[in-house]
Amino acid sequence: MENISLDPRFQRAKLPELDEEVILNASDSFVTFEVFHQKKKGTHHSHVGIVHAPNAEMAMVFAKEQFARRGATSNLWIVESSNVLAMDYTDSDIFDTTPDKQHREAGIYKTRDKIEKYQAELPNTKQD
Amino acid sequence: MSELNNAKAELINYLADSLLILGHRNGEWTGIGPVIEEDIAFGSMAQDKVGQARQLYELLHSDFGYSEPDTFAFTRTAEQFKCPQLVELPIGDYAFSLMRHFLFDQADLIRFEMLSSSSFVQLNQFANKFKGEIKYHVFHANTWIKQLSKATDESKIMLQTALDALWPYAFAMFEPGPNDALLIENGVFDGEKALYDKWFETISTLLNTYQLNIPNISDETIGRGGRYGYHTEYLQPLLTEMTEVFTIDPSAEW
Amino acid sequence: MYGGGFIGEAEKQTQQDDPKLLAEFEAKIAKGEKIEPKDWMPFDYRKQLIRMIEQHAHSEIIGALPEGTWVTRAPGFKRKLAIMAKVQDEIGHAQLLYSAAETLGKPREQMLNDLISGKSKYSNVFNYPADTWADVTVIGFLIDAAAIVNQVANSKGSYGPYCRALERICYEEAFHLKQGHDAFVALATGTPIQRDMVQQALNRWWEPIMHFFGPSDKMSVHSEKLMRWKVKMASNDDMRQQFLSTYIPKIWELGLTLPDAALVKDETSGKWTFTEPDWDEFFKVINGDGPCNAERLAVRKWAEQTGRWVRQALTQPGKQYVTPFA
Repeated sequence: MENISLDPRFQRAKLPELDEEVILNASDSFVTFEVFHQKKKGTHHSHVGIVHAPNAEMAMVFAKEQFARRGATSNLWIVESSNVLAMDYTDSDIFDTTPDKQHREAGIYKTRDKIEKYQAELPNTKQD
Repeated sequence: MSELNNAKAELINYLADSLLILGHRNGEWTGIGPVIEEDIAFGSMAQDKVGQARQLYELLHSDFGYSEPDTFAFTRTAEQFKCPQLVELPIGDYAFSLMRHFLFDQADLIRFEMLSSSSFVQLNQFANKFKGEIKYHVFHANTWIKQLSKATDESKIMLQTALDALWPYAFAMFEPGPNDALLIENGVFDGEKALYDKWFETISTLLNTYQLNIPNISDETIGRGGRYGYHTEYLQPLLTEMTEVFTIDPSAEW
Repeated sequence: MYGGGFIGEAEKQTQQDDPKLLAEFEAKIAKGEKIEPKDWMPFDYRKQLIRMIEQHAHSEIIGALPEGTWVTRAPGFKRKLAIMAKVQDEIGHAQLLYSAAETLGKPREQMLNDLISGKSKYSNVFNYPADTWADVTVIGFLIDAAAIVNQVANSKGSYGPYCRALERICYEEAFHLKQGHDAFVALATGTPIQRDMVQQALNRWWEPIMHFFGPSDKMSVHSEKLMRWKVKMASNDDMRQQFLSTYIPKIWELGLTLPDAALVKDETSGKWTFTEPDWDEFFKVINGDGPCNAERLAVRKWAEQTGRWVRQALTQPGKQYVTPFA
């Protein structure tokens, strides 16, 4: 290296010449793990992202800092990505009519009109 | 200040200096670690150590009349520092830094466990406060050493080489403190010998599990003297660097 | 601006996108729906996104280096902890962004190879040196501010994984900006030596900052398509104007000056005029001939080289790598 680095760390290290070829091998890839984060006991764990790691234990070590170094955390789960069965988005159509299934919703069950009509048609009785 | 108070202050000073210098060294890996996720983790732990040091310096200031943390930490020279020589050694390769982290943090865990029943209330409060952080540091270190010790021939050799170089300095870390008897007598801290015994039992068991050889120490004076101001050639350059900007004007607000 | 936007390999599309699928895709985007990794997407959408997210990731990992210059020398505990946390965050952001880019099919190691070989670009602003501590405060304040303008805009884009990564990043950037501004103000309101240090740093960094958003967009077909697909969310000019409106007052309120006498805001239109920065210089630097390009790549090579034994010790040959899906 011609120029001296302004960073004392690199003044100490021996930085390689630029034309020295450095290639990461494909085998340097390791698998990924999905991270689930629980903010507070009583709430759901939420998916927050992935870490690259050789096994679940190291994934946990990494997840703690990548996804829980700020804010509140009470718990973490690690799941190897290949263990997650993800639905295909092409099958999202199976949910198309779900919002229309009003029979499962409270909203279509309206009673007020019937009650008022009934009360209006009652013979005149004293209200005690 | 009474003799006992001096002893307490010396202990806190020793702890704070150790944590600051190790945190500083480990912080040198920030942004240039070997694996992205590990870079992040190692950086966090370095901050934890610096943060713990700061709190201990704050205690020295509030309860023992020492100057305030920035001044005390950023204006002393090497012979005024009490850290063990182990922590001031340059970062070396990643095996060296990991192995040092493994050896030191196990001692740190046990030391603070011992301090959690200290008669010195503030120290036992700190012990409880730092407990969670140190637990993670040890989890991190042990997981890594375990992983590397059974991975490749190269990783095993890297670890053993680092252990061979560090072992004398780790052993020297437990050199007797100047006031151990007084601290033990008053229930402040059970002393370096007791700490060493517990540490050695845990560490040697772990190293055996990881199939790493515990080196012989040919010269027990190697690495000693840090607590008494005798340091390696590496500490002053570290301090000069660490304080480079601060000393442009130590009275200014940065 | 993470690599100039219009610099890239010409990886040719071999087959036309199915027009029916393309129409459905564009309708989805127009409705504000998000695209997830396994959805059908046009060839060019995938290609541009990989390039954009990858270059953003590289910018984070390289971005850790100018401030990293001073990580061992921060003055006092507050600054020491802040800079350690900030530089660490950059690596954290790189991790989030590489993960997002990976969902499109390019493995992380391939992206890192492209970075260290010089094939992939990163934000040009990081090819300049941090000469003093004051440079760190200028970077932490103004460059993070510029990055936030860009990130907030893009976080409303169409690609799910990138949006999710950006949301998390924007949250952390708020800390970066605040701590940077804090350190900047400490110098500007400090001793004469401190004030001079920060003024000099500002003078040095102003042109790279003006270069940050890239040259003026010509509303080319290319640019228009990327905006229609919500890959590019705002024009370079708009983002630059937004940045100037928010941050010039914060510089001037401290009585600091900027090395551009033409810098002025038209109160009626709300637009800033400024001396057009030297775009030849910009292209020269982004193509490798800047003060720190060689060092930045050398450092990444060093990190990869010295870390190789560690990564090899983590590789599990039996395990099956799957492309991340979220």
